[in-house]
Amino acid sequence: MSKSRSELSQIIHGVARDPLGLMGLIIVGTIVVCAIFAVWIVPYDPIAMNIKDRLQGPSMTHLLGTDQLGRDTFSRVVMGGQVALKVALPAVFGAMVIGLTLGMIAGYGPKWLDNLLMLLFDTIRSFPTVMFALAVVALVGPSLQTVVVVVMATSIPTYGRVARTQTLTLRNSEFILAERSMGASMLRILGVHMLPNIIGVLAVLAAMDIPTVIALEAGLSFLGLGVKPPTPSWGALLKDGYALIRQTPWLVVGGGLPIILATLGFTFLGESLRDVVDPKLRKQR
Amino acid sequence: MTETLLEIDHLSVDYETARGNLQALRDITFNVKKGEIVGIVGESGCGKSTLISSILRLTAPNTRFRQGEVRFKGSNLLQLSERNMRDLRGDDISIVFQDPMQTHNPVLSIGRQMVDIQHRSKASKSEKLSKAAHMLGAVGIPDPEARLTQFPHEFSGGMRQRIAIAMALMSEPDLLIADEPTTALDATLEVQIIERLQKLQQEFHCAILFISHHLGVIAELCDRVVVMYAGAVVESGDVREIFHNPKHPYTRRLIDCDPGHIKERARVLPTIPGEVPDLANLPGGCIFRDRCDQALPQCAVDVPPLEQLTEGHQAACWLNQEEVHA
Repeated sequence: MSKSRSELSQIIHGVARDPLGLMGLIIVGTIVVCAIFAVWIVPYDPIAMNIKDRLQGPSMTHLLGTDQLGRDTFSRVVMGGQVALKVALPAVFGAMVIGLTLGMIAGYGPKWLDNLLMLLFDTIRSFPTVMFALAVVALVGPSLQTVVVVVMATSIPTYGRVARTQTLTLRNSEFILAERSMGASMLRILGVHMLPNIIGVLAVLAAMDIPTVIALEAGLSFLGLGVKPPTPSWGALLKDGYALIRQTPWLVVGGGLPIILATLGFTFLGESLRDVVDPKLRKQR
Repeated sequence: MTETLLEIDHLSVDYETARGNLQALRDITFNVKKGEIVGIVGESGCGKSTLISSILRLTAPNTRFRQGEVRFKGSNLLQLSERNMRDLRGDDISIVFQDPMQTHNPVLSIGRQMVDIQHRSKASKSEKLSKAAHMLGAVGIPDPEARLTQFPHEFSGGMRQRIAIAMALMSEPDLLIADEPTTALDATLEVQIIERLQKLQQEFHCAILFISHHLGVIAELCDRVVVMYAGAVVESGDVREIFHNPKHPYTRRLIDCDPGHIKERARVLPTIPGEVPDLANLPGGCIFRDRCDQALPQCAVDVPPLEQLTEGHQAACWLNQEEVHA
């Protein structure tokens, strides 16, 4: 256990050495910390209305002003970050685990199973994500869980395909043949030898995927199909701000800026992670 | 006479291809005794690799075992269940592959890989690690404990091949298959690896099936030699007999072509003219006939059987029959 922890700290150190990676780490860290401690950070209840103070500009009392119902925008942005991560992390993690498992089965298993899984992946992929989401939301109604499930289902094929391709490449590699000739069972080959070769690529993919998912959640909320109002979400903020852009620009800034920052942060982190997790590129210790 | 460890008994293996059945191995018979080093020589495509994968039963899906047996300690490996076969691999039979740059998992440290291949042992992790370090020491890797934490790309090719040998010998196998272990290395390292193998063989008393197309290495290392051509054994016998008194024209020409045997300086190295016959569409008679300068009328008609010439020397050529009968 102590060994894997030191490996993790090595990876973090490696990311921090790279300027872009450090920036990503700081942005992502800030977002995560804000989301975790959101309840203590927010100065006002993000859903408490105060019609008297509606559509105010930034001031000491309201850092980012208020919206059309007099709700504090800063509080809504912070809580919106929590919602965004609540959707993005489980969706991406779930998609990665399921995609990895199915992809490895497809890559290592018999041909018919591979064909079947590929057919399934392609079928899911053939639906545009937003259309698929619209259909599901229309059926079961908007909620946080629906968004998570929809996002997860639509991104499984991406992970599955990458895992499958990696497995196929590895399967014919000499070192896997060497392991087989040393009497390793199928589970041992997949778990001990192939997984560490695949997980790095998928982790990078996941880090890069998180902003996409955040944007997707924002997009669905923008369309009114994401999380239900009055729950604050960056997408919902954008939507309100868009309608009221002539009255106050601060809502659009409050909704848009965190999406941009989150996207940049996770992308930087992902890029930097990719260079660090590859042991061939890892610097001599 | 020592106990026989591995017997290849009239083994014939086909590959099913779009062009028809490719007869990769035909009627292969030879054996390896306990603690003996047997060399297999032959040019590329003569079936050496098919032979190894048949012994380990790690064959391509289009492989068909047409006839014959592979007996290891008396039991036919071709009949064994997948489970029992897996127990044998890496425990009783180990293998060292040709390209040391490809045989290690690139993302796991050498120590982790060496611990992992001891998965059958009940020993604790630290015991396994110390055994791994001991094995690295035995193959001449300096400072083995520290080296265990390093990754394959931090080792040179020669070191990686020695690590591969250490891993193969970890379970103290009865049979070590070495599939051209020095082909991917340069000449200096080749000598090193061969000397190391000789030393280790005396230490571990395992039999070695050494595959190579380098005659010098075979002559240096092996007790007995099996010469293969186009999927068949053409000659086999004690290493001295084969090199000093070759009885098959192919063996003779092979030795003539070895750069180590060439006395005169020449611009062009000698070669054997002609090509290996198409194994999917075999001509009748002797397979070497087209390239043989001593072919007899009989060679076009019948396949020469592998005949015992003297004690421990067999060859498949009608010329020898002529001598016997004449």
